[in-house]
Amino acid sequence: MTTTLGLDIGSRTIKLVVWKSGATVMTRKALTSYDPIAVCRELLHDAPTGPLVATGYGRHLVKEYLRCETISEIKAFAVGARAVFPSCRTILDIGGQDTKAISLSEDGRIDKFHMNDKCAAGTGRFLEIMATALGLSLGDFMTEALAAETSHPINSMCTVFAESEVISTIARGIARPAIALGIHHAIAARAVSLLERVSITEDILFAGGVALNRCMHKQIENKLDRKVHAPADPQIVGALGCALLAAKNV
Amino acid sequence: MKFNVTDVKPLIEDEFVGEAAKRALQYIQTKRSAGMPVAGIYCGYAPMEVIRAVGAVPAILCAFANKTIAAAEAVLPANLCPLIKSSYGFIITDTCPFFGISDAVVAETTCDGKKKMFELISHYKPMFVMDLPQLPDEKEALANWATMITKLQGFLEKTFEKSATPEGIEAEIKATNIKNRLMNRVFDYATKKPSLLKWSETYELAFLAQVATTEDLQPIFQEVFKTLEEREAKGVYYGTASAPRVLVTGCPVGGDSTKVYKIIEEAGGVVVAMDSCTGMKPFMTEIEENTGNPIAAVAARYLQLPCSCMTPNTRRLDELDKTIARFQPDVVIEVVLHACHSYNIEAYKIMNHAKNKHNLPYLKIETDYSDGDVEQIRTRVEALFDSL
Repeated sequence: MTTTLGLDIGSRTIKLVVWKSGATVMTRKALTSYDPIAVCRELLHDAPTGPLVATGYGRHLVKEYLRCETISEIKAFAVGARAVFPSCRTILDIGGQDTKAISLSEDGRIDKFHMNDKCAAGTGRFLEIMATALGLSLGDFMTEALAAETSHPINSMCTVFAESEVISTIARGIARPAIALGIHHAIAARAVSLLERVSITEDILFAGGVALNRCMHKQIENKLDRKVHAPADPQIVGALGCALLAAKNV
Repeated sequence: MKFNVTDVKPLIEDEFVGEAAKRALQYIQTKRSAGMPVAGIYCGYAPMEVIRAVGAVPAILCAFANKTIAAAEAVLPANLCPLIKSSYGFIITDTCPFFGISDAVVAETTCDGKKKMFELISHYKPMFVMDLPQLPDEKEALANWATMITKLQGFLEKTFEKSATPEGIEAEIKATNIKNRLMNRVFDYATKKPSLLKWSETYELAFLAQVATTEDLQPIFQEVFKTLEEREAKGVYYGTASAPRVLVTGCPVGGDSTKVYKIIEEAGGVVVAMDSCTGMKPFMTEIEENTGNPIAAVAARYLQLPCSCMTPNTRRLDELDKTIARFQPDVVIEVVLHACHSYNIEAYKIMNHAKNKHNLPYLKIETDYSDGDVEQIRTRVEALFDSL
């Protein structure tokens, strides 16, 4: 059986999936950096070779360099989501600078999709900046929010304004865990409103780097009052979709 | 996206291919040299027939470039529509050649931003602000708008020291109708599957046709139809038979915001219908002839323009039905300029109308004149086409 590759060049992380004989045989991730082509070269240099499909913001950049087919993230996630979760009808993907909600028909075709506005509000990048404003690593930011007993609401959704709001909230003596939880609440609410725009049908898959955040996962489940499935490795769903489409093309 | 053959003759073959504004500028300068006064306009509600009947040539003032926005933001709030910021920036940096040669400016109370911006530029040139009724179906609206048009006529006559007659306005009504019929004959070539027109050709022709008289356009139309008939005879078409046909609706799209048209094409779509004031909208309806009251006839027609500043703007949905039936798009893409609240809110109705009544996928793109969001727009458009 042919080996195929999927590459998802996201705004923060580049993901590679190698697919062979009906299974994922390799996954790799690296930070996108200022030179995504060099990072792709590094990820690919001793990986198995085969037909490759790329997605993500950097897809047009690597198109010429790798002479590969490119697809939109929506399509990549639609295909990848059904592979990790065959009964999936609704996808929430929160990545570095995009949030996407996609609804699928029963047979897996894209029915509707919605993306956040062009700004980074409510994305992974937003979480990173808020964690930094609180003087926490991303991991500790989640842990503190999970352990919080109260939540302090954060109202601004513009990344820059929200950072100012967090700083002034700290200055007012509000406990750090409460602010951390408030930020999670705000992003979860935004994600849920995006999901509502595409009509929510079970089963629901939560993908993208932010799906690694257990507090966010829990908040979204609470707000939806439904079970949301997060795959073991939520970051590679798009790259997996690419590898599967490359296999289909062979 | 390109034509299926190489070496396709441009629709308007002159030294201005791809330079719609320069072509219009040359036209207006020629008229001005011949002694005609120039009336600068900002909006599709400016009654062209009255401007022409007074013996003036209309000039569409600059409003579509990112380069003047930084200067404008020294005065105007950043969180304002780019069209208004760009317009104002052109004035204060003295870089709009159309404004430079305008002898007067015609303005309308369409949206709040424009209305207040006009106050800030009112001292540069003689300006007449028309109070546009925004509840077009109220029984007083027509009479009020007709009164405004009469007042505009008085202002132009006084400023230009010229006069218009009812017969002159009636003649201009007839000329507009002839022009609009010819324009629609051109648009018919975009209704074909595949289309025989590239979006920029329609855009360029519409740009010129707004300022030029029907008489002056006649030789151009002759050439245009000859070119289109040749294309048809030779089987020349634009794009591919399987490319998604796109209806673009919403705010005016021009200059730097034509990035949206370019992205649609790069993503594999063909823009067949341009439902905005810089596209097909100004040519879609005719003015009633021989009514005995040409001002009222002009007023009635302009009041029917389905701009989102009107409420309720039900005519936009009716027009959309006709446009969809005529151009048979596969998707509807709405372009909303940043901070254009009326189009942005109305987008919800347009989305529901496109999806529920016509079963067409719909995408709203909110943008400005910068190129900072090109890749984000591209992702959305490609995803839209992927979902077909």
